[in-house]
Amino acid sequence: MKALSVVTVAVAMFILPGSAAAHLVSTRFGELYSGMLHPVTTLQHLVPWLALGLLCGLQTPRTARWALLAFPLAVLAGTGLAGLVPGLPHVDTANILSFVVVGGAVALALRLPAPALLGLVVLVALSHGYANAAAEFRGRDWALYATGVGLAAYLVITLVAGSAHALMTGRPWGSIAVRAVGSWIAAAGAMFLGFLHLVA
Amino acid sequence: MRPPAMLIHTVMLALLFGVATDVAAHAEAGVAGGLVSGFLHPIFGVDHMVAMVAVGLWGAQLGKPAIWVLPITFPLVMAGGAVLGVAGVPLPAVETGVSASALVLGAMVALRVRPPLALASTLVAAFAVWHGYAHGAELPQAVNPLAYGIGFVISTGLLHLTGIVLGVLVRWPAGAGLVRACGAGIAATGVYFLALNLGVLA
Repeated sequence: MKALSVVTVAVAMFILPGSAAAHLVSTRFGELYSGMLHPVTTLQHLVPWLALGLLCGLQTPRTARWALLAFPLAVLAGTGLAGLVPGLPHVDTANILSFVVVGGAVALALRLPAPALLGLVVLVALSHGYANAAAEFRGRDWALYATGVGLAAYLVITLVAGSAHALMTGRPWGSIAVRAVGSWIAAAGAMFLGFLHLVA
Repeated sequence: MRPPAMLIHTVMLALLFGVATDVAAHAEAGVAGGLVSGFLHPIFGVDHMVAMVAVGLWGAQLGKPAIWVLPITFPLVMAGGAVLGVAGVPLPAVETGVSASALVLGAMVALRVRPPLALASTLVAAFAVWHGYAHGAELPQAVNPLAYGIGFVISTGLLHLTGIVLGVLVRWPAGAGLVRACGAGIAATGVYFLALNLGVLA
């Protein structure tokens, strides 16, 4: 009986649905949630943000503290920029370049001076904030949508930086793991950059 | 659960899946497909897979700093090879190179060869270019090229990790023997694929 039920459900699962290209963003879950979901469901944003979190985790807490705060604010400013100056060129390229630059810095375990880290974080945030708004802006409530994007930015960077820092504290392999993930991110970005400029 | 209740649950579940209609998708399409195809690419080529495990095993056998230098530099060099593949720059004997990498890296582990770090890194990096090229050549056809790239980098990294974890066995004498036997197995797999690629085996 039980086996029959399992088989029936399994068959139903495989046969019945057509393409379930589901995504809550488009079900109008609310502008705030649309804003929060857009960057975390788009690899082009999520992956370099992870790298940025790892890079902050590699720094001393004193250096990283301001970057954690500046990142969501600069993302917010980036979404505003998209409203003011739409259609800036090369934003996508800059975002893919952020895979390589930030991922590479993680792979090298670069200890940056506070102003350099802050500058890098703000640049990456502006370009990603811009792209988040540019894709989804029309007909939306800007304040709610942009707040959502900023909140997601804050959550991603603090959670990842905190986790990375905790992982590396007292575990010699922790920093190797973080650096390896950085090299993966840089590698994926370099390949996609090559694809964008040589094929697409 | 009583059988009639279970039947009702089953029918309801089946209905749930059955009535699911399309939900309009997000701008970035094909992420799952791209990730899966990229992730599986290094695993479905057996010579690719064993060569990547050999990198981890050799790193573990050589100890610090090779144990972390090899897995961190490999993806970066591989990306360079992948860009050559994406661009369609002709590289000779790609499949032969991949099979040869399984043979050579497996033999290094089996014979416990301990060259200086620079030499070991150069050897591994040279093979990384061929592996990257083979994966990269298929990147433009992927449903989502970015997801495909991320998938195969993660997959390659996890294969290195598998090798490193297996390589922890070198702390014990019996384990060290087992690691060398793994290396011999990998080299033998390389020989088989090399023979296939060179047309010696039909």
